[in-house]
Amino acid sequence: MQPKKTMVWDLPIRLFHWMMVLAFTLAWATHEDSRHLDIHTISGYTFFGLLLFRLIWGVVGSHYARFSEFSYAPSEVLLYLRSLLGSGVKHYIGHNPAGAWAIFILLTLGLLLAITGVIVLGGEEQQGLLAGYISFDQSAPFSMLHEALAWSMVVLIVVHVSGVLIESLLHRENLIGAMFRGTKWIAGQSAQVPTHHLVASVLLVSVITWGAISLNGYVNATDEKPYQPFKGPSLAMNELWNEECGACHLAFHPSLLPARSWQRLFKQQEDHFQEDLMLDEETLAELMAYASDNAAEHKQTEAAWKINRSIKKEQSPLRVTSVEYWKEKHSNVAEAVWKQETVKSKTNCGACHFDAEQGTFQDSAMKIPE
Amino acid sequence: MNKKVLMTLAVVGMLVINVEAYAGEVELLQAEYQKQGAGPFNAAAGEKMWRQQYIDKKSGKQRSCQTCHGEDLTKSGKHARTGKVIDPLARSVNSERLTKVKFMKKWLKRNCKWTIGRECSAQEKGDFLGYLKGL
Repeated sequence: MQPKKTMVWDLPIRLFHWMMVLAFTLAWATHEDSRHLDIHTISGYTFFGLLLFRLIWGVVGSHYARFSEFSYAPSEVLLYLRSLLGSGVKHYIGHNPAGAWAIFILLTLGLLLAITGVIVLGGEEQQGLLAGYISFDQSAPFSMLHEALAWSMVVLIVVHVSGVLIESLLHRENLIGAMFRGTKWIAGQSAQVPTHHLVASVLLVSVITWGAISLNGYVNATDEKPYQPFKGPSLAMNELWNEECGACHLAFHPSLLPARSWQRLFKQQEDHFQEDLMLDEETLAELMAYASDNAAEHKQTEAAWKINRSIKKEQSPLRVTSVEYWKEKHSNVAEAVWKQETVKSKTNCGACHFDAEQGTFQDSAMKIPE
Repeated sequence: MNKKVLMTLAVVGMLVINVEAYAGEVELLQAEYQKQGAGPFNAAAGEKMWRQQYIDKKSGKQRSCQTCHGEDLTKSGKHARTGKVIDPLARSVNSERLTKVKFMKKWLKRNCKWTIGRECSAQEKGDFLGYLKGL
């Protein structure tokens, strides 16, 4: 029988596959730099949504998209893998047993990855679906898990792509092309697969709409009023603090240092970085009270939590720039950036952080001036 | 008299009282300095001291009031070490200046120490105020 060009992968499956590739790549590329946390989050949610769609489509989708079509017993996988070494490799129209298992593992890893992502976002950033339900400390192990899952996913992707290449060579069949066109050349019987244009359109339009809504804030952003994707908590402000501290430098929010640091700093107020503050008793008392009520150990922000975590109990640093966490976070900032006219000093937080005065120091709320 | 006129008079009256109170803060502080033994104040002497360069003993660098406040007091200055913007000192562009005795005292004390290397005398501080209030 002559091979016939036959539809195997319906359009929703193909769109799902390639949008998944895009979402994962984007999330991977933006995971390291806090400046891009919003893009990481948007692609993460997209990834999550696509996975949920895939779960539904695995039950109600067209023939080769259904999980039941490609659930093979482990013994069949072994049999298939062994046959790869011999000559009589069986040809599957949809997923072969090894490929099918890779798909199931990928889907499982993906789901766990998305779920841990939402947990970390809720805990570490106090943002997203779970904001307010998880504490900073509770989210810490999930952060490591999230990263481990992402790496496992990368390994599985390598396995998946290698499998596709090997099978393409073995069967002299372009499987990558098939994931674009949806068709394969098949001799003999195969199931009828409709394109499912409507479902595909809904899927595509949903993702595009979601992306557009999520990125809308950037449209109206200006240099003076840059877009801040994540809003931090409203931290307590103190007029006297802003007036006294803010006269000479940024009025660093008390959450940037532990209470013992502030106590030490005020105790030696006559030698405050070579200046005498000359604060009277009354002023001093109010400033001290505000500082200890809002110091880093109260963990009001992610920065406060991480700063406090990185300072040893017996230490009481006077500069946030001498704190380990600060140093590590700024280690990638080039020397030339600090020397710029608009930056000049490492204490000039507001040169890059839009929300320095509010003390929230949110991810994505920063831009290195050019 | 009708209501409108009365209202206008009341508003103008309040404004006058306010302006007086504002202007009064500098004079109040100057009077305090005079009680400490200072004579009549001289704006020109204040200006001269304001522009004079002093050598910092530790760093050997030149310092003056202009180091941070800039040459034109109707414009913003910049903190010498932190780069923080300092709002203009001239009352003609910044009405908040010279309105609080406590604030003026504190900065006259701190900034004399930093710039000149010692606290200023009552006479010197009064002269500075004499210069600044005319801007």
